[in-house]
Amino acid sequence: MKEKILTLPNPFGGDLELYKNTWGKSGEPLSIVSGLQGDHLNGLFLNSHLTQFLDSIMEGLHPHYTLTGQVQTFPVVNANAVRSGSRLSPLDGMDMDLAFPGNPDGETAEAIASTIWQHTKDSFWGIILQSAPPHYEDAPHIQTYKPDGRTKKMCKDLQIETVRRQKESSTQKVNLFHQLQDMSSVIVSTGSPRTINPQQCETLFQGILNFMKAEGILKDHRNKKPKHKTNTRIYQSDEEISVRTTTAGMFLKEVKVGSHLKQGQKIGEVRDIYSGKRLEEITVPEDGLLITLRQYPIVYEKEPMAIILTTKKSWREYLPWPAH
Amino acid sequence: MPVKTQSILSVKSPLGPPIEILKHVFPAQSNKPRVSFITGLHGDELEGLYICHRLTQYLKELETTNPNAIQGEINIYPAVNSQALESSTRLWPFFSLDINRTFGPGQSPSLAVETSQTLFDDLQSSSDIVIDFHSSNLHLMELPQIRIIKDFEKKLLPMAKKSNVDLIWVHPNADIFESTLGFNLNRAKIPALVIETGICHRIHQNTGDQIFNGMLNLLHYTGTLNIAPPPEKIKEPKQVQPDQVAMVQASHSGLFIKQVEVGQVLKKGDNLGKLIDPITGNVLEEIVTHCSGLLFTLREHPLAQKGSPLVRIAKSLSEQ
Repeated sequence: MKEKILTLPNPFGGDLELYKNTWGKSGEPLSIVSGLQGDHLNGLFLNSHLTQFLDSIMEGLHPHYTLTGQVQTFPVVNANAVRSGSRLSPLDGMDMDLAFPGNPDGETAEAIASTIWQHTKDSFWGIILQSAPPHYEDAPHIQTYKPDGRTKKMCKDLQIETVRRQKESSTQKVNLFHQLQDMSSVIVSTGSPRTINPQQCETLFQGILNFMKAEGILKDHRNKKPKHKTNTRIYQSDEEISVRTTTAGMFLKEVKVGSHLKQGQKIGEVRDIYSGKRLEEITVPEDGLLITLRQYPIVYEKEPMAIILTTKKSWREYLPWPAH
Repeated sequence: MPVKTQSILSVKSPLGPPIEILKHVFPAQSNKPRVSFITGLHGDELEGLYICHRLTQYLKELETTNPNAIQGEINIYPAVNSQALESSTRLWPFFSLDINRTFGPGQSPSLAVETSQTLFDDLQSSSDIVIDFHSSNLHLMELPQIRIIKDFEKKLLPMAKKSNVDLIWVHPNADIFESTLGFNLNRAKIPALVIETGICHRIHQNTGDQIFNGMLNLLHYTGTLNIAPPPEKIKEPKQVQPDQVAMVQASHSGLFIKQVEVGQVLKKGDNLGKLIDPITGNVLEEIVTHCSGLLFTLREHPLAQKGSPLVRIAKSLSEQ
């Protein structure tokens, strides 16, 4: 059911409206939020795919499935930004994800934040869908603050192998994710802003389905076991390496996000815009998984071109003889 | 020793000239408190640029007329977010990022965070006191004021009173401040006053001059400048707590047609303006004040959404 949960009048017509979709009435609710930033389109696409799927179950078009729990989605939080094709609302240039928990009587961003928080705070599970920051592309992964048992299970059921443990930051208290910390909640990040990657979204869609089945929100009458077991790995923040430029120019990448890179492997090179000369080669400092890659080619000095998740070796691996 | 201009950060840019943060250093004759002035964190806020211009001009002249006057080092960072200033935007345009939300721990790696960290480290190593100048946003006009987080009141209030502002607003901390420069300096035990005046995209010379005089008075008070206090009388600011501030918000979306000016002392029942519907021509709301006091914030940009602040009033004693 599509429900309007907030209307903010606009003096020139075209009111700003905030919607939520709900399916099912019993059980602990799962909330899925997307469109906090107006240019994070993978989340919007994924939520719309999910809506189509859950609607068709309710209409009896998927006889193998029954919805046994409760799901609510918030496909477009920052409608003003989506409408203007930008990350932030052009009205005030404020970052929507710095407005939580919001204020029902406040300005537009605060009123939206408050409405989202009021509708999600009693959920049992929370998933926030996002893309990489501007100019970057993310391989599909989960971000979390405290990977406790429940969250670890959630990651596994979502069938996402890579989990990044986030450092506590000076802005976190005003993020939506921080407000959801009393429930099992994760951020799922994939792709780059302003684009839709259907393949990545399909993988994540299957992961969300698997999660809903594992938690009893969705019943699959075929009793099919998952095709593969996901081995989730949690990377601590000190296992992340940011590979930066020492020059400025045009960055030409030679690798793909999500690939495992070897020390010394070429990530790409920076060329001078005017002369075309190669200024530097960006290489992998340590073996690891390429989780974030620069997408926008124009680069300044000292900018990260890649974030690599490294695997800390156990002390046994340093022994001169094989460990048993 | 004459003033020296240093680049505390230089980043190569793809098209040639580097991005730099410049600092003017006026060396000290003794070890009195070192004071740093910083402006331009938001590229559309220009009032602080004028105040720093006046300070730089004054101090350069002082170096020749009274070379022993500078007793503590004075640093002026006249335009810290140069790309945002060039494009006259609040945010650093390349990143769509508010650099004054990138201070403090745990930020994801980016050039903006690297920049804010370099600036913070430089301020921390070369300042005993920091003054960070801001204007308001696109929408609101502010009377010269200093907002102080309650936890830092004891250290900051005596200095704020010397700054020739109209208002000092002491308020509790809010989570959103924790990523700002001012908050993080204060937390690092470097007293930092955040002075807010005017509106973005504009320079108001009269209030800029008022704060310039306040800064000379402050430098005299701290012993950083061995000069006579400015001849102009320094204002005794009105000091308020949150319950002494009344805010009027728009209860409709429309255009706000103001009928008052910032700095006016209002009586209960005074007309503040009206909200009109730009399409139908209807008057949506006549707005009156429900308290008397000093009008210190006023909506200048007429476009108002429901919930937008229209005015803030520092209530008179009789209202409290």
